Amino acid sequence: MDSQSQYDVIVVGGGHAGTEAAHAAARMGAHTLLLTQSLDTIGQMSCNPAIGGIGKGHLVREIDAMGGVMGRAIDRAGIQFRVLNQRKGPAVRATRAQADRNLYRQAVRAILDEQPHLSLFQDTVDDLIVERGTVRGVVTGMGLALRATAVVLTVGTFLGGRIHIGDHNRRGGRAGDAPSIALAERLRALPLRVDRLKTGTPPRIDTASIDYRALTEQPGDSPAPYFSRWSRGDEHPRSVSCHITHTNPVTHEHIRKALHRSPMYSGEIEGVGPRYCPSIEDKVVRFADRDGHQIFLEPEGLDSREVYPNGISTSLPFDTQIAMVRSIDGLAGARITRPGYAIEYDYLDPRDLHPSLQSLHLPGLFLAGQINGTTGYEEAGAQGLLAGINAVAHGREMAPWVPARHEAYLGVLVDDLTTRGTSEPYRMFTSRAEYRLQLREDNADLRLMPVARDYGLIDEGDWQAFCAYRDAIDRERRRLEQTIIRPADLGDDHGATCLGKPLRREQSLMALLRRPEISYDDLAALSAAGEAAADPRVREQVTIAARYEGYLQRQAAQVEKQSRYEDRALPADLDYARVAGLSREVQEKLTHHRPATLGQAARIPGVTPAAVSLLLVHLQRGEQRQSA
Amino acid sequence: MPDGTICAIATPPGRGGIGVIRVSGEAAGDCLTGLAGRLPEPRTASLRTFRDADGEPLDQGLVLWFPGPDSFTGEDVAEFHGHGGPVVMDRLLRRLIELGASLAEPGEFSQRAFLNGRMDLTRAEAIADLIAAGSEAAASAAMRSLEGAFAHRIQDLVEQLTELRVHLESSIDFIDEPLDGLAIDRLADRIEAVGEAVRAAREAARSGQQLQEGARVVIAGAPNAGKSSLMNALLGRDAAIVTELAGTTRDVLDAHLHLDGLPVQVMDTAGLRTGADVVEAEGIRRAHQAMAEADHILLVVDDRNPDEDDGLGAAWPASAAALTRVYNKIDLTHRPPGVGDDGVAVSALTGAGLDGLKSHLRGVLGVRAGDEAVFTARRRHLQALDEAAAAIDEAVSAARAGHGEELVAESLRCAQDSLGQITGAVTTEDLLGRIFSTFCIGK
Ligand SMILES: Cc1cc2nc3c(=O)[nH]c(=O)nc-3n(C[C@H](O)[C@H](O)[C@H](O)COP(=O)(O)OP(=O)(O)OC[C@H]3O[C@@H](n4cnc5c(N)ncnc54)[C@H](O)[C@@H]3O)c2cc1C
Ligand SMILES: Nc1nc2c(ncn2[C@@H]2O[C@H](COP(=O)(O)OP(=O)(O)OP(=O)(O)O)[C@@H](O)[C@H]2O)c(=O)[nH]1
Ligand SMILES: [Mg+2]
Repeated sequence: MDSQSQYDVIVVGGGHAGTEAAHAAARMGAHTLLLTQSLDTIGQMSCNPAIGGIGKGHLVREIDAMGGVMGRAIDRAGIQFRVLNQRKGPAVRATRAQADRNLYRQAVRAILDEQPHLSLFQDTVDDLIVERGTVRGVVTGMGLALRATAVVLTVGTFLGGRIHIGDHNRRGGRAGDAPSIALAERLRALPLRVDRLKTGTPPRIDTASIDYRALTEQPGDSPAPYFSRWSRGDEHPRSVSCHITHTNPVTHEHIRKALHRSPMYSGEIEGVGPRYCPSIEDKVVRFADRDGHQIFLEPEGLDSREVYPNGISTSLPFDTQIAMVRSIDGLAGARITRPGYAIEYDYLDPRDLHPSLQSLHLPGLFLAGQINGTTGYEEAGAQGLLAGINAVAHGREMAPWVPARHEAYLGVLVDDLTTRGTSEPYRMFTSRAEYRLQLREDNADLRLMPVARDYGLIDEGDWQAFCAYRDAIDRERRRLEQTIIRPADLGDDHGATCLGKPLRREQSLMALLRRPEISYDDLAALSAAGEAAADPRVREQVTIAARYEGYLQRQAAQVEKQSRYEDRALPADLDYARVAGLSREVQEKLTHHRPATLGQAARIPGVTPAAVSLLLVHLQRGEQRQSA
Repeated sequence: MPDGTICAIATPPGRGGIGVIRVSGEAAGDCLTGLAGRLPEPRTASLRTFRDADGEPLDQGLVLWFPGPDSFTGEDVAEFHGHGGPVVMDRLLRRLIELGASLAEPGEFSQRAFLNGRMDLTRAEAIADLIAAGSEAAASAAMRSLEGAFAHRIQDLVEQLTELRVHLESSIDFIDEPLDGLAIDRLADRIEAVGEAVRAAREAARSGQQLQEGARVVIAGAPNAGKSSLMNALLGRDAAIVTELAGTTRDVLDAHLHLDGLPVQVMDTAGLRTGADVVEAEGIRRAHQAMAEADHILLVVDDRNPDEDDGLGAAWPASAAALTRVYNKIDLTHRPPGVGDDGVAVSALTGAGLDGLKSHLRGVLGVRAGDEAVFTARRRHLQALDEAAAAIDEAVSAARAGHGEELVAESLRCAQDSLGQITGAVTTEDLLGRIFSTFCIGK
């Protein structure tokens, strides 16, 4: 690092958002600095040792298609891999892996260390350099003023962080790490809306103190799937199992007795926690009729002696944590190695961001990760990737990358955040994506690699390989459509063996593949079917295309319809009070949200189709006046 | 920029008069040929028979064809001048929708004209006003069309669909959770049941029981004036109980009536008086409410003592709808039947003067009932129900054929979006909120 140097991009924070941001910026050739409190915690998983899952696995595949870090790192660090929703259709299948924390950190660090144009430096950022309303750099704890064209802030749960365990609380950014107080105060002084959220984590348990004999074992899939399209297939470390146990009425009794000492219920915590990731005390209160809740015992690593009991996140007093844990099957002799806790932190209202993740009020400042009100490594990493790309684009005066809702979960994520904001930590679910059928793990590369190519994130060799793959799919699709099978070609017996019943009339291979009971392999076995595709990925893509065809066409039509005004930009200085015909209420909403495009405006709750029409007329009028 | 082909009633179908439907956009030509045969010469009127999909005649009238860009909107435009009343106009619109048009938003024709440069800048304000005012009128029309039992019925459908989606979506997004999820085949049965309910609602709406309720005419007046008798006489059947006791009717009774093709909802109410018992007092309260929501009030007066207190007193609603005095029982007073300066004279018993009353009503209601906004709102509601039913069918067959849950979920989402056009959208946030409060989710 060079203290005199002018950087293209400075990324603050070495978590999941920060590492993706820095890596993406450097891959684009930008002179990039990653500044973080401690180089030893780069890529640290603050909470559960797992990557992926439904919705989240989709995000990891998107990061990966853009050449990012997360998929490659987890492939080198995963100790149990599973594909969830196997029995459901491809759109909602998702990969999840347990991680060895240490291996994960090492993998992330190794990937960053290999990356040209990227420097790492250990220091705390206390202040932003703001000149004439534009962010120009940062000031560190030791007083260095470092200048950059763009700054990406990814400080996670650290801003004004406060940790609660029962009635005890103290400042902290995450167990064992100092919070960011100076920076939090500085941000509160800037024209940004700040609020509080909370999240929590369970106590950790010494694996030697657990009696696994009575517990249900949950092994990983075999063969273990890979996240990254860049992995070769020999990266996975050895695999281990998780175990399942349950809370019981005794556990619940311990919890109820201590509720008055819980910071959640005593009113000590004001921040809002996630509804889908409730603490065990929340579950017991809100679902009082349930007498047991499932717990997954997840190993923290191959060599680690610690176990993460997924399902009992808590901020109850420590003595209650011990009693509660020991009441659970298999945990009677449990030794807690670290207490569970809740953490409250500042987040910045994401409605103050452009969908490129640049601040609307402070040009040059980009925000990504938990600071924007999300939760989860994958959500953070995806935003980091986007912010890193757009920070470079900003300096080069290129158009930012703003993926649409039908192009990527990342598009859904930033659109939801910047249009609607959030009142609880935001997590991705597939049900948030109205174009779910086309946003699949299996086609993340088809959707996004052309973008990665445009922004210079992947090299020529990878691009050529991708093009060959894409062409092979197109060719195979055409072949299946054009190959017509006649009943006479088969004879009843052969047809019945391969297709389940004899063929009655002539049909294309594609039409046959549309039937749910016929697989690609069935077709390949048909004597008259010609030469099948060799690449299993090609087979998979054409099969999905056949199964989803009607639905995808309909969604494409919807997208087409939306896109007529979707991308129409709304000027940042548009005076909504002067748009003829808008109701006062809609004017206020638009002034408050400042949507970047007409499409975004239409998705703001309370903005009617009539209001969108009025905006359209207003825009057109401005244009006609200019050209007149 | 403009989006698809739109259609709308350009002039409301008046009684016996001509109603004009206009279509604009790339499918306008297909709409014309589909409804009325080959394209006529541009800009000349020709007489045609309008036919439905099976070739059955719907109406007869003039068609005009204005190919773009030399048309009002700058796009291809077709115009249909029909003779039928509202019911026929509705059929024509339905046919046009089948042929690829969709119902225009308020002000959309003018908006297209403007966006296509067919109108100069100075008109932009006027168009903005048109859109703003039009959408307000449409909103209140949609409300009107959505009152009462129909609204409950739709709300109930939305609720049932939401519940199914809560199960389905949570089984997709929260796999590791031991949900008491519905097995897919049981799910298909439940979806099918909702589909039937949607269809029933649609049929009810279509056959006019609920949607085509038309203008509201409230029969009010003092006890024993003969309100219920008049109601029965208008309907031609014994719908309401008639006795010689004052205070017979205690609740609002409504029925549908067609006045020469014009749908009308007639309501009989309790006689207005003070000092009634609890039940009757409630009936009188309801009578006042019905009057407050009426398009027209028939105030029935016993012709034997026409100057007696009519019971309206101070309760007369401030926003009173137009009112016609009906002098009843003229068989006893021998006043000549028919329309006079201060009201209409009838005998509910003998039927004298009833034709006069009906044509008087048609005259005063014609414009109101043909109100384009209400008419369009109803058509939209029907269309939304059609779409919902189709999406639900698709969900059922996907579930039965063993396609993935995500495809069933996709169709249900579409169904709910369609119903959402009637009742307001159910957002993802709403759905997730329901999931989190129904199931204990999260590790
Ligand atoms: C207690 C707890 C429980 C959680 N529970 C869950 C859960 O159940 N499920 C889930 O999905 N997610 C959970 N998370 C969230 C998950 O850890 C985060 O979403 C994810 O780590 C966010 O990534 P990030 O990059 O935004 O921030 P972090 O991973 O928090 O990284 C922030 C980085 O910024 C650095 N930093 C902070 N301030 C400064 C500064 N001033 N100067 C320089 N560097 C700085 C930090 O050292 C750190 O490297 C939990 C987090 C915590 C702390
Ligand atoms: N002769 C004659 N009697 C009538 C006529 N209309 C109604 N009546 C009688 O008047 C009495 C009251 O008639 P209803 O129709 O019940 O009167 P109403 O206004 O509905 O009375 P409430 O419901 O009690 O308020 C009955 O006995 C009817 O038969 C009429 O035109 N001529
Ligand atoms: Mg009566």
